[in-house]
Amino acid sequence: MTATFALIVDTFREAMARKIFWGLFGLSLLMVLFFLFIMKIDVVEGATATITLFGQKAGGEHRDMAVDKLVKQVHSSISTFLYSFGMFLAVFASAGLIPSVLEPGRIEVMLSKPISRAHLLMGRFIGNVLVVSCNIVLLVGGVWLIFGWKTGVWSPGFLVAIPSTIFVFSVLLTVVVLAGVLWESTAVSTMIPVVMMILSPILAQEETARKLLSSEWSRQLWLFLYVALPKVYDVGKMTLDITLGQGAGSWWPIWSSGAFGILVYGAAQWIFEKRDF
Amino acid sequence: MTAELAIETTDLRKVFRNRWSGKEVCAVENISLRVNRGTTFGLLGPNGAGKTTFVKMLLSACIPTAGTARVYGKDTKDPEARRPIGYLPENHRFPTYFTGAGMLDFYAALSGVDSAKRRKLIPELFERVGLDPKWMDVRVGKYSKGMLQRVGLAQALIHSPSLLVLDEPSDGVDPVGRRQIRDVLHALEAQGVTIFLNSHLLQEVELFCRDVAIVNKGRVVLEGTVSDLTAGKGYKLVAMNGSGPKEWNLGSREEANGKIDDLRREGFSIESLVPTTSRLEDVFIEAVQGKK
Repeated sequence: MTATFALIVDTFREAMARKIFWGLFGLSLLMVLFFLFIMKIDVVEGATATITLFGQKAGGEHRDMAVDKLVKQVHSSISTFLYSFGMFLAVFASAGLIPSVLEPGRIEVMLSKPISRAHLLMGRFIGNVLVVSCNIVLLVGGVWLIFGWKTGVWSPGFLVAIPSTIFVFSVLLTVVVLAGVLWESTAVSTMIPVVMMILSPILAQEETARKLLSSEWSRQLWLFLYVALPKVYDVGKMTLDITLGQGAGSWWPIWSSGAFGILVYGAAQWIFEKRDF
Repeated sequence: MTAELAIETTDLRKVFRNRWSGKEVCAVENISLRVNRGTTFGLLGPNGAGKTTFVKMLLSACIPTAGTARVYGKDTKDPEARRPIGYLPENHRFPTYFTGAGMLDFYAALSGVDSAKRRKLIPELFERVGLDPKWMDVRVGKYSKGMLQRVGLAQALIHSPSLLVLDEPSDGVDPVGRRQIRDVLHALEAQGVTIFLNSHLLQEVELFCRDVAIVNKGRVVLEGTVSDLTAGKGYKLVAMNGSGPKEWNLGSREEANGKIDDLRREGFSIESLVPTTSRLEDVFIEAVQGKK
């Protein structure tokens, strides 16, 4: 337990030294402060009377909107932000934390300690997930609290964005870990999950692709890629649906992405166990 | 297999295979080595001899292709086998975001030392390796090479190891610091800690180690105690006559006695007769050039 905690704290320390933690924290805090101080909403009988930004009236189309609708719109915007820009940012920012620990002259000292390689890798992985999780909790939790406090609308569906975003980030992080133990390159560790994120909404149009693609093998390849790769877009859409109170729908994107993450992490650990340093 | 031995390797072999070309390089070839508990052991060899690969296999940083390595009777594949080991690598790159104290705290925690003990040990170790405790809260990125070497040594000592594996421990350290490090190591030796030194500084090994092994091209080419390897090379005789002192190097005691008799008959007076020893450097060069 001492060693696990030390590995997690070390990841935080490195994330702070590289300004990764503070960068993400600053961005999350800025958004929370924006909603706390800059955006003011006056609610009269369950509808928004005035919305002001920097003291100026704003949001023409939001005026007289049912307040719960406004809250859900803000929540869904945050969810969309998290699954697009936020996820990119998290992967970009934290991808270097895995290869850095494998640097010659550093890894040998860690491997000389009485901890298994699996333990070392897992400690680093958990630390990395926690670095990002803290910021997701701050952003989602902060926005949820502020809007609840300002409007009296407590929409618990939005909080699903916390575990679902952490889950998707963890799945993508397994790819970072695998690329890291294979090539020890931050650039490659970043590129592969980013390509997967970009591919995800494209691959999700599987039904359309089936109609458009002429050959059977290309349809099968599309289907294979859709089934095999993490479903960032689908899980994001699922989160958005829950935020908007429309229910989760199929859990298939969750468990298939989870299975992908477990397989990829397993491969990363297997390679890490066999590697020479 | 007995735990009387600090290190025991049997036919330890490491072949590196290029992932793309498939070309193989044998870095360590069937090394069987025994290091007694409590000794000071020096592993010598020219660059590329396989010393570092051998050490890395002891620490499981490198996976052996064949053979076994044991530390105090435990297979090094088992992480518990590394619990008694303190290790200082040659080209260490400690993360620069650590403060000196933070770094020791981290590595001690990885070794399972509890936090109360860590707090007590860290300032003590700073002093022990000759670092001013005022550097404890300074980031190691600001440390000089010699200071990094000292804090690296402290890192290796933080969990009170019974086997210390050091790769070029005095590299980059000034002569005073070198002496200090040697004093620390002598104190550890007196406490019964086994010290395994991997160094190319022959004088350092000669001064400090009791046992040595010389490795060349992945194989042990010579092994023994320093005194045995450097002793027994003959005698140096100095005698004088009217034209001044003269020297003779003689291979055996009989030869020396015969020469003395001859010289006395010729009117020489014997100045001195001393047994000669080789320097470890001579032994090393002979061994790696295959003359031994």
